[in-house]
Amino acid sequence: MYTRNPVGRFIVLFCLVFWLGLAHSADEVRIGALYPLSGQVAKSGEDTVNAIRLAVEIINNKYPDLGIPFAATEGLPALGNAKIVLIVADHQGSPETGAAEAERLIVQQKAVALIGAFHSSVAATSSQVAERMGVPYISGESEATTLTERGFKWFFRTTPSSRTQARDFFTFLRELNKRSKDQIKTIAVVHENTLWGQEFAKSVEGYMPEFSDFKLIADISYQQGTADVTSEVLRLIAAKPDVVFHASYDAEAILFARTYKQYKFSPRGVMAIGAAFGSSAFREALGPDANFYLVREHWSRDLASKNPVVAQVAKLYRDRYGKDMDGTPARAFVAMMTLADAINRAGSTDPKKIRDALAATNLAPDKLIMPWTGIRFDQTGQNDLTRGIFVQTLDGAPRMVWPFDQAAAKLVWPRPAGR
Amino acid sequence: MSGDLLVQLFLSGIGMGFIFALIAIGLTLIYGVMNVVNFAHGEFLMLSMYASYLAFATWGADPVVTLPFVAVMMFVFGLLVYYLLVRRVMQGSMNSQIFATFGLMVFMQAAAQFIMGADYFAVRSGLLSGVLEVGPFTLPAPQLAAVVGASTATGALYWLVFRTATGRSLRAASQDRQAASTLGINVDRMYALAWGIGAACVGIAGSLLSNFYPVFPRVGAMFVLIAYVAVALGGFGSIHGALVAGVIIGLLKVLAGFFISSQLKFVPVYLLYLIVVLVRPRGLFGRL
Amino acid sequence: MKSLALAGLLGVLLVVPLALSDRPFELRMMVVIFLYAMLGHGWNILGGYAGQISVGHGLFFGLGAYTSTVLSLKLGLNPWFGMAAGGAVAAAAGVLVGIPCFRLKGHYFVIATLVVAESAFQLFIAWDWVGGAMGLQLPVQEQGLLNLQFHRNKVPYYYIALGLLAAVTALVWWLENSRFGYILRALRDDEEAARSLGFSPASYKLLAMALSAGIVGIGGVFFAQYVLFIDPFSVLALSFSVVIALIPILGGAGTVAGPILGAIVLVPISEYSRVLFSGTGRNVDLLIYGFLIMLISVYRPDGLAGLFRARRERREYVPG
Repeated sequence: MYTRNPVGRFIVLFCLVFWLGLAHSADEVRIGALYPLSGQVAKSGEDTVNAIRLAVEIINNKYPDLGIPFAATEGLPALGNAKIVLIVADHQGSPETGAAEAERLIVQQKAVALIGAFHSSVAATSSQVAERMGVPYISGESEATTLTERGFKWFFRTTPSSRTQARDFFTFLRELNKRSKDQIKTIAVVHENTLWGQEFAKSVEGYMPEFSDFKLIADISYQQGTADVTSEVLRLIAAKPDVVFHASYDAEAILFARTYKQYKFSPRGVMAIGAAFGSSAFREALGPDANFYLVREHWSRDLASKNPVVAQVAKLYRDRYGKDMDGTPARAFVAMMTLADAINRAGSTDPKKIRDALAATNLAPDKLIMPWTGIRFDQTGQNDLTRGIFVQTLDGAPRMVWPFDQAAAKLVWPRPAGR
Repeated sequence: MSGDLLVQLFLSGIGMGFIFALIAIGLTLIYGVMNVVNFAHGEFLMLSMYASYLAFATWGADPVVTLPFVAVMMFVFGLLVYYLLVRRVMQGSMNSQIFATFGLMVFMQAAAQFIMGADYFAVRSGLLSGVLEVGPFTLPAPQLAAVVGASTATGALYWLVFRTATGRSLRAASQDRQAASTLGINVDRMYALAWGIGAACVGIAGSLLSNFYPVFPRVGAMFVLIAYVAVALGGFGSIHGALVAGVIIGLLKVLAGFFISSQLKFVPVYLLYLIVVLVRPRGLFGRL
Repeated sequence: MKSLALAGLLGVLLVVPLALSDRPFELRMMVVIFLYAMLGHGWNILGGYAGQISVGHGLFFGLGAYTSTVLSLKLGLNPWFGMAAGGAVAAAAGVLVGIPCFRLKGHYFVIATLVVAESAFQLFIAWDWVGGAMGLQLPVQEQGLLNLQFHRNKVPYYYIALGLLAAVTALVWWLENSRFGYILRALRDDEEAARSLGFSPASYKLLAMALSAGIVGIGGVFFAQYVLFIDPFSVLALSFSVVIALIPILGGAGTVAGPILGAIVLVPISEYSRVLFSGTGRNVDLLIYGFLIMLISVYRPDGLAGLFRARRERREYVPG
């Protein structure tokens, strides 16, 4: 019967392989990583996990030429050079699966800390499991503001929240208005309608009283995965904003940019949160039309001029995975390094000690690959030393143009018309 | 709100509508001949978009140039799907056909991601990436191509179905399988033909779309839900129904997106479907 | 013989959690199997017995989940009350959807269920009062049966899910042999004939819809209490509606065993293939999943329940 029943054979095979994969030894530090590796955002999930894998590789092996902690040694020195074992789990973007995988990683895979989870909704449920079980959880890229407002003791976040990031848009515009006669007044927000986009729009709205020199004249929420953005663009044309704030994922970023061009919609600037409007796919698809889009980034290769390690890590990433590093992998890399630093200072794999070490984290900027002034967690577990940058695509390459005193290239503003 | 903008909204809506119509036509043809809804239709679209992109990336061939080849390739692919999968579930119920094509959908999406990764690829400055400007109005070239493509496809299918011997056999096979068999018509071959032509139609749609839309494993899902509604609204199996319904949906969607809410722009489309089928249970032009 | 085997199976299921005390992954998988089997039963009443194929049952699941969660967050009502309310709201919604849609036949009905569910999905994403895209998080309360929340030890969820599944299975079993069940099948097989016998198709279909939607709604409440977080993407998305339909179709639509078999096969395949293969980021898990679905549809067009029936018949015909 079973030889004729492929379903049964598959199940038996799965069970066998699964149970075989459980043995592990003691002088290692087991860390569980929760990321989306199938489905819609598999690409971003894969890029992000790769950065974590790179961090683990650097920690576990000797990279004498690399000027960051743990590169020169093999493993974690304070734990007798114990190596980090990374167990990667796929949560498919589902909060329920994420929670279940967190539990599996902690109980069955004996993970002493978790890192994740890309989606904020998954970070919410999986960190709840970690909180309950008393296992530290670090996130380098889940941005929902509410994550650090839950009073959790075991949750730490190195990346700035959505709300913090939205503030940079206004700071940028204010500085710009001070420097030029051409005053920016009206803003339109265009955002996709999942958590990320909705939260960005809410944050922007929340800042309006504080930045009352600007006026929000259109708030356009569109369905994520839409095939056509004509009506959205026509609404923008009717509203005539000076500046458009964008929260869009890759496919729609390409779609919007192409539709803007078709209908000759040319505001003075398009500023985006998230990497989509400056990604390599975007630049590849649009060629010269990709120029002048501004992206509020976390990381840029231009940071290498101040911090040579940035170029070294970016090169390692490129060599290993055949892809350029961007902001999200860079943040995940730093989160993993922060976790390793805490485990090393804890000198133990006891989750409680790791948590306390994390809470006492104080990393200097030269040990990171970020534009931040360091890593230090406040009472809520949020890193309060982050700083954002703006990157503009110029001649087909993303260049850091803000903060103005650190700019690697001169900002082109307003965007040349007809582009 | 200026009059020009209103005209522009109508033009854009109709243009988008033809894109939906072009995708829907292949779907409705397959249904019309053999009462099967192809749930993997969006993935057929994806496959043809990847083919157009790969031809562009490898040989620099514009999607317009490779369109005939993609159509032929998709025709063959449609035949393969029919002979390898669909034919084997024709004895079963509607359930098993839904199930089989759903499995194909999941499989094709996963296979695309397996082979190409989840990255976004786009044809850069293809022949049809520009716009045509008529006075103050903008007519995007991909939409114009869809107007030509959908109208031609509809016309050609009508000619094929109603003016040729093959078409007579197709109609016979669709109306009464048994009777057609006794008249010496190879019903099996007619079904295969329907799948081939249906796939070729969506291949043409994919070729034209690849001028404008980036391609990625889930790209089909962006379009196909609307294509299903277009097919049902027009009446399952009705080719001109799919065309008309596609245009209506495109127009309604752009107007609703502009005047009501862009994140809920599909809801009025869905409501329209419900209202139409409650009044006419077979859609606008479906056979009773 | 049959009842003895069933009692034995139930006995085994009752002690399974003891063996899975340090294996939360498998324990949770069992809970998911029970839940999905229950949802499959719900779909099966309408889709399998009454022959009305719906690809929008996620709507009822989501309505159940949202009803109990909103009642708990806004009015502080107990989740058990929420469960009753969630089931009732879902059943009422089912009737509301059914009244117009049952006039439609075949694929027109399928597309109608699809657009209704998709519209609701979009509306919930845009509806700030229920959290919009951010969803709703249930506050952690003292664990126990009263609050229907268990934190350290998830075994009670197992028994609750098993209990719900057993109750629904019993209901469907009764239904299959009842007059109501016969009428439903008669409607499915030949609506005109049933009508000429004096049965009103509309009212029986509506009753089936209410029952079907209510069961799925109760499943939604259980899910909300289990995860303590809901958002439109995890409880109302179209892909979930498709899964609800897929389970009984895979197992065998219109049979008591179908939804259970479907869940037993589908859930572990998707779970283990995800755990084992998805680390590659290449979607190998879905590749296998899709291939198996095609395989089953080709070789077992009536679902897996047919496998057992065919075997039994073959055995019965063996002489001697």
